[in-house]
Amino acid sequence: MSIIYVLIPIAMLFVLIAIGIFFWAVKSEQFDDLDRQSVSILFDDDKPVIPETKNSESTDSTPS
Amino acid sequence: MMKPLDCFHCGEPVLTDTQFTTCINDKQQAMCCPGCQAVSKAIIDAGLINYYKFRTEPGSRQNAIVPEELGTFSAFDLVEVQEDFVHKDSDTATVSLSIDGITCAACAWLIEHKLKHVEGIIKIQVNSTTERALVTWLPEQIKLSAILNQISAIGYQAAPYQVDEQELLSKKNSRQYLLRLGLAGFATMQVMMFALALYAGYFTDLDVEFRDYFRWVSLIFAAPVVFYSAQPFYFSAIRSIFSGRLNMDVSVSIAILGAYIASCIATINANGEVYFESVSMFTFFLLLGRYFEQNARQKASISSSNLHKLVPLTAHLITDSGAKDIPAKGLKVGDIILVKPGEVIAADGVIVDGYSSINEAMLTGEQLPVSKTLSGEVYAGTINVEQPIRVEVTAVGQDQLVAEIIRLQESASNNKPKVARYVDSISNYFTWTILVVAALTYVVWKIYWPEDAFWVTLSVLVATCPCALALATPTAVTCATGIFTRIGVIARTPGVFEKLTLIQHVVFDKTGTLTCGNLKIESTELITSTDEEQVLAIAASLEASSLHPIAKAFESYRDPNLSVKQSKNHIGQGLSGEINGQKYRIGSAAFVGATEITDSTKQVIYLVNESQVLAKFLLVDAIRSDAAETVKLLKESGCLVSIASGDASNHVEEVANKIGIDDVNKGLSPEGKLQLIRQYQTHSNVAMFGDGINDAPVLAGANLSIAMGSGAAVTKSSADLILLGDKLSRYTDAVKVAKLADRIIKQNLFWALAYNLFIIPLAVTGHVLPYVAALGMSASSLIVVGNSLRLLKVRL
Repeated sequence: MSIIYVLIPIAMLFVLIAIGIFFWAVKSEQFDDLDRQSVSILFDDDKPVIPETKNSESTDSTPS
Repeated sequence: MMKPLDCFHCGEPVLTDTQFTTCINDKQQAMCCPGCQAVSKAIIDAGLINYYKFRTEPGSRQNAIVPEELGTFSAFDLVEVQEDFVHKDSDTATVSLSIDGITCAACAWLIEHKLKHVEGIIKIQVNSTTERALVTWLPEQIKLSAILNQISAIGYQAAPYQVDEQELLSKKNSRQYLLRLGLAGFATMQVMMFALALYAGYFTDLDVEFRDYFRWVSLIFAAPVVFYSAQPFYFSAIRSIFSGRLNMDVSVSIAILGAYIASCIATINANGEVYFESVSMFTFFLLLGRYFEQNARQKASISSSNLHKLVPLTAHLITDSGAKDIPAKGLKVGDIILVKPGEVIAADGVIVDGYSSINEAMLTGEQLPVSKTLSGEVYAGTINVEQPIRVEVTAVGQDQLVAEIIRLQESASNNKPKVARYVDSISNYFTWTILVVAALTYVVWKIYWPEDAFWVTLSVLVATCPCALALATPTAVTCATGIFTRIGVIARTPGVFEKLTLIQHVVFDKTGTLTCGNLKIESTELITSTDEEQVLAIAASLEASSLHPIAKAFESYRDPNLSVKQSKNHIGQGLSGEINGQKYRIGSAAFVGATEITDSTKQVIYLVNESQVLAKFLLVDAIRSDAAETVKLLKESGCLVSIASGDASNHVEEVANKIGIDDVNKGLSPEGKLQLIRQYQTHSNVAMFGDGINDAPVLAGANLSIAMGSGAAVTKSSADLILLGDKLSRYTDAVKVAKLADRIIKQNLFWALAYNLFIIPLAVTGHVLPYVAALGMSASSLIVVGNSLRLLKVRL
């Protein structure tokens, strides 16, 4: 049982890291626009996988 | 394709058949108006077709792009104007813009991608939640007006905004709350984990060694919750102690600190009971409620900031070397300014050259322009409609009529009658009672059984811990605010829910509130002509050159194939012009020489050619479609309904008749409206609806004020509620929600008080085991939260 004297402090360290990441995320404004980021993956430019199958339209839309 | 199509861009029905189309994905898509057509074409041309693929809401309806509007952007380029809202670094400039028309995340993507490749723009970030964009650009390569033009080309209206002071504060607060809440959440999870082990220790034999170890770990995890996360409660408690009216936070603070300190003592002495998990969980739940409340408040302040657009008022100052654009605040008394048609007059003054009609709706509520000639007085904020005029400035800044109205608004809001709020008084009494009971318990136990006094007193504080009571109102208010946002009602001030249920008398402004605020063609009467469509098209072409509200009514009937030659504007009378070699005149009966049928409630205009009268158009300010229904519902619920209008014409009575309001007051000045409300307030709580600047004082003076979303910024800044989308019926929905919320708050309070009354005697006599106290507390809180959540299921 005495292993918990080592394991619990390690767990506490993990919690500390998690809290640190959370604080960083909040401070870097990642929680400011929750509607947007959830769908942003959809907008990644889905150019045809085989390039130049259709060369009309889409003059720009370089990958972001 | 027989049934009317919906516009591919905005989803409105297409009435013009396939007159306007855009080729999207090799298919012609129908558009409802040239505005939507231009916008969709701009989107496709920029290669941003993904917008149409991924959007979840239709775009916002475009008004035909008015060339005058493009002109107004140039005012944003003046250095003096930019000082107010542009942040400049060595060679870049940054501005935060509020953007109208963002309906979903696809809009944000669209704007970003459209602007990202524009030369001179370094960075653009669009936030679809706050409907704002942060733009960084190189002033040497691109002007701000050009950026605004780029955004408007794809159908969004961007403008710098006036940041609400409340917003700056609440943004910081929201982030703080999120940090506190997150920390409390993480810590609570850990503490609960160890608490489980400790609880299990009651039943199985947990070594004292491990028990104390777990307690020490819990103590460490609970510390940041008590000393960081719970801070807002302590500050609020201290403030309330100084102000002499105790609030719930006093007993919350005592419970948190008391339980934590007692648990620490127990841990150090290795005896007694620990309450770390109760402390953390309690703090976490309370913070959760506060956080939601704070978020709702922030949302409200963001939208009211967004509504407060900074449109720089500029003036064309006449100098010896010609006209020069300067910001309105740089004007001095005695300056001569040129006001072109369609422009807002920048300062109070008298006309020294020219004659025109001025739209003073913003001051009087009267929507038809007033003719003004030489030495006529004009006021800042009113709009010149027909001809360029020169105005000598007679008053600037605080001496202007508008400033007078704003002062009246401020003094009215200071004398606003208060509606008593029972929740505040309950928490005051409750807190006193708890403190007295706890003190008495301590004294009595100290005298008879001194060794147990501290523990029993503590269990009184923990058991009666007003968790449920503290959550009773905020949870219900949070849910109700959520529903308000969903139905398009913004609650700007606290206590709106209680006030809504107490309103007995509702007063409406007319123009812009009960009516749409712009003229529409009600009927077309053909006299000698037989083709209604053709008559309307001719009339629309003639009116195309005018900015008069009447001309706007014809806008949608315009036929691009008809061109007008020799178009002439006869001020205050009508227009004339030549189409396909045929001379036409359109205007009042006197102007065209027709026999007038007197009907002063409506605007009648005639279209004639050289020989005969072709048609007669009846124009009215259309009543909002849901006005009659709303008034009926209000009357059914026992409210008195009145009209207070600045308009003095008979149209007021006609509107009142149509929607069933008996009490009509018309031709009122802003002061007159305020007096009227004061008079009503002597026997009832009054709610006022308004939209214009002339309504601002009366809104500030009413018990509850409701502004229309399309109204003036000043009006909205003094309103309790803002109706987005200008739907009056949402007010009755809001009342329904408020009544339900009120009932739920009462149920919550009843339950919380009943629980506390039951547990106090047990705790005082020392019969409450610590885990029973913690269990009871959690259960009563969960019941309160669950009850409040029922609000979210309400159907409207």
